[in-house]
Amino acid sequence: MSDLPLFPTTTVGSFPKPPYLLEARRKRLRGQIDPAELRRLEEQATREWIQRQEELGLDIFVDGEMYRGDMVAYFADEMDGFAIAGLVRSYGNRYYPKPVVTGPVGRKRPITVEWFRFAQSLTGKPVKGMLTGPYTIAEWSFNEYYPTRRELVLELARAIHEEAVDLERAGARFIQIDEPAIHTRPDEDFELAREAMEIVTDGLSAYTITHVCYGDVPRIYPRMLDLPVRQIDLALKNEDFALLEVFRQHRFTKDIGLGVIDAHSHRVETVEEVLDGIRRSLEVFEPRQVYVSPDCGLKTRTIDEAVGKLASMVEGARRAREELRSVV
Amino acid sequence: MRTTHVGSYPKIPDLPEPGRWRTAAEKLQRGEITREQFRQVEDAVTLEAIRDQVEAGLDLITDGQIRWEDPQTYFARRLSGFSIDGLQRWFDTNVYYRQPVAEGPVSWREPITVEDYRFAQSHSPRPVKPVVTGPYTLSRLSQNRHYARFADLVLAVARALNQELRALDAESPPVVQVDEPAILQHRGDLPLFREAMAALLEGVRSPVVLYTYFGDARGLLGALVELPVQGVGLDFVAGPRNWEVLEAEGFPPDRRLGFGVLDARNTRLETVEEVLRALDRVCRFVSLDRVDLGPSAGLEFLPRRAAKAKLVRLSEVKRAAVEVTR
Repeated sequence: MSDLPLFPTTTVGSFPKPPYLLEARRKRLRGQIDPAELRRLEEQATREWIQRQEELGLDIFVDGEMYRGDMVAYFADEMDGFAIAGLVRSYGNRYYPKPVVTGPVGRKRPITVEWFRFAQSLTGKPVKGMLTGPYTIAEWSFNEYYPTRRELVLELARAIHEEAVDLERAGARFIQIDEPAIHTRPDEDFELAREAMEIVTDGLSAYTITHVCYGDVPRIYPRMLDLPVRQIDLALKNEDFALLEVFRQHRFTKDIGLGVIDAHSHRVETVEEVLDGIRRSLEVFEPRQVYVSPDCGLKTRTIDEAVGKLASMVEGARRAREELRSVV
Repeated sequence: MRTTHVGSYPKIPDLPEPGRWRTAAEKLQRGEITREQFRQVEDAVTLEAIRDQVEAGLDLITDGQIRWEDPQTYFARRLSGFSIDGLQRWFDTNVYYRQPVAEGPVSWREPITVEDYRFAQSHSPRPVKPVVTGPYTLSRLSQNRHYARFADLVLAVARALNQELRALDAESPPVVQVDEPAILQHRGDLPLFREAMAALLEGVRSPVVLYTYFGDARGLLGALVELPVQGVGLDFVAGPRNWEVLEAEGFPPDRRLGFGVLDARNTRLETVEEVLRALDRVCRFVSLDRVDLGPSAGLEFLPRRAAKAKLVRLSEVKRAAVEVTR
């Protein structure tokens, strides 16, 4: 991407919702406000996050997902073939609404395109189209309809492909397809997940990214490099860059979305820490391979934590750029 | 044949009913209620779990593991030697647990499950089966920062949990279930696993059933049934190859089979006919009176309504099976 600086900075997708929006979402559930009022507040929160990204000086923006709850349930809600089975505990007292496939899955209409257009209309910086991948949607849903997981995954891949094509037509130059569940069954299912990604990204000219986190990345490496995307975005910070050892043994042939910020800690990383992470990564990556981002979506942080973390990240990337220039 | 639950039960009911466990957990976190008040909520929710299992007509129930944060933390936080660290994915599920870290010598300090078992049994008209996470699985899912070898950790945890089983002995439970799903992913550790089971079961008087799930027991079953246990539990949903395993390794006539055949991780409800066919098939390897029919794993993967429906289905299958054999 020729108009981007070295070490372009971006984020993984979600930002924390402001308190007024959380309150409005609760009210909407209880039927105390109408959809138009919720929509107005979602747009307001989106504008605020676009403005914050401008101020932070990020290079590739996201819309912040103010209008999404869970990354799988959001797509399930907007598609044919799904119902919500109920709440299921993921850990501690965290519950998520788990979808269930009850019929043939498919798009009713474009899902994310309108929000993409809205966000992109607010800025001159490129906004990423953000999609949840077919393997993850299937894996994190119950299935009462398709006889095999394979059939469900491939049908979802076709639907997500249509969405990606529509995003591209709407002007998205970057499209990210999140697959945090891709290593759930590394031996049995990786090939299926790869095949699904091939369907999703088939014929796209946009710069494609997949985000993978939590789980055994080494188990799917180097096979992971066969995923038909330009960039793989990974969480490195929360394991103190242990993955670099894995990449040292077998060269990482794609661009890397380098997670340099722990998305699940309250502590705001220092600029030095970010800079150090980038420096260490340059032992295994070429500088032009490296995009700088947090480990994961920041929606579980407070707004202040998220802004603090991103400010360190952007400044760390700027200093890494400077260092490299002074060497050359 | 006995119908049995094998572990966890959803802690909150389906919407719009209020999830009071969840609300209480949030309040506890914010310091708005005391530990004791939270325990009262856990008691009440445990009674709901017992009620649902009894209403479903199960022969052997659990306490629903309402008090378990996750199968590792519940034990590790009461043993000496462990601290509790960050989140890790639990096997191939979308459920996460806090990873125990062995920072010093692991030993048993106090009863972990006994009081909870006593509470459940005294409030249940049906026999209750306490469940204990096995030493191999607990160690495998922990970090070892203390012992020179992984095997040393496993054996220390086995000795610690042996004390727990002995403490349970005093309550005379009908049977104790020991969960060891992790061995299925680490077959090469079978010699160590045997050693750990010997340490775990030494001097234990209660009958023990050894449960595995999330895979098949290829190359292991023959050894598992030779352990001094009443029975072995297998997951025929995530481990369909267990059918071949039965074919290849057989099943001795003096052991019970935990027949995990209702999918604990999918809301699709199996038909009675479907399960009867599976029962028919399994009876080629084990007589019906030695079958413990159950879900493939704990049921907390499901919303509560779906979990209850699975339990009810177990009883319906049992009734139909009795009709057929009559």
